[in-house]
Amino acid sequence: MTNLGFTVEQKDCLQEIINVAMGLASDKLARFLNTFVHLQVPSIALVGANHIPAEFSGRYADTEAALVSQGFFGDEGVRGEAIVLYKMDNAHRIAELLGYEPGDSSEIEMLTDISSVLTTTFLNGLAQQIENSLSYSAPRILSSRHGNLSDVLQSTSFHWEHALKVDISYQLVDHSFNCDMILLIPDVAVSRIKVILDRILEEF
Amino acid sequence: MALPVLICDDSILARKQVRKSLPETFDAEFKTAGNGIEALQVLRTQEIGLVFLDLTMPELDGIGVLEAIKAESIDCFVIVISADIQPEMQRRVMELGALAFIQKPVSEEKIAGVLKQYGLV
Repeated sequence: MTNLGFTVEQKDCLQEIINVAMGLASDKLARFLNTFVHLQVPSIALVGANHIPAEFSGRYADTEAALVSQGFFGDEGVRGEAIVLYKMDNAHRIAELLGYEPGDSSEIEMLTDISSVLTTTFLNGLAQQIENSLSYSAPRILSSRHGNLSDVLQSTSFHWEHALKVDISYQLVDHSFNCDMILLIPDVAVSRIKVILDRILEEF
Repeated sequence: MALPVLICDDSILARKQVRKSLPETFDAEFKTAGNGIEALQVLRTQEIGLVFLDLTMPELDGIGVLEAIKAESIDCFVIVISADIQPEMQRRVMELGALAFIQKPVSEEKIAGVLKQYGLV
């Protein structure tokens, strides 16, 4: 897997920034689900955006899946698309836990809510640490029921150069809940992030 | 006399952030560990007065370290510095005998407050 030129120090720095952002997002999610979540260190990787459909089609092939996608915009060319991927059998369990009425529309609503909590809290935490501020477009949800997930990913990632993959795994007390978060970002955002990481590293 | 201090975090940056956030007057001799297993190796073989401990780590997490410190009656102060800020986690950490819980990212102000409170500076 290519790291597209992050040095070891830059990767360590980005990993720590992401850990802090994940911590904030998880705390919000735990409050939202009214449970305790066991956090694991999220694994991160920066890959070419064109690798994304192939990489995820396998993982979500045998199961009904959904993705929630949300655009973000910040200063100095930091912008992108944040995607959260879910397996629906996971979602059914969480829906039960949260007491959502059975049926498609409310589960979709729930996934949009969870994604919104995860994405905006995560990205705000990230933005704060890299001294940026972000705004967001409305989330849109796509289910594999309406087409092959890799086709959906293909069309979503088509316009982007890079993808920052963050594997998120939550173990709830009685359930486990996994999702993947992908940040699709352009070249200019990656360069910008590298400059910021170097500046942070210089401070220490 | 310099206080033997162990900084345990899997992130190099986070370990440096702790060092940088300590007051200049803090007279310490620093050791580092990249995960809980490494931390326990140090704690079992050397006198450590104070541990700055991360929670979310590979191999053995911070909770595992706190449990071992308690079970083996290792004599040291532990200040937890974590991104996992769930109230349940903070409660668990304090129950296991940590002196204080600091939310990441760490800062001079956050550390100074805790050190002062416990007379460590």
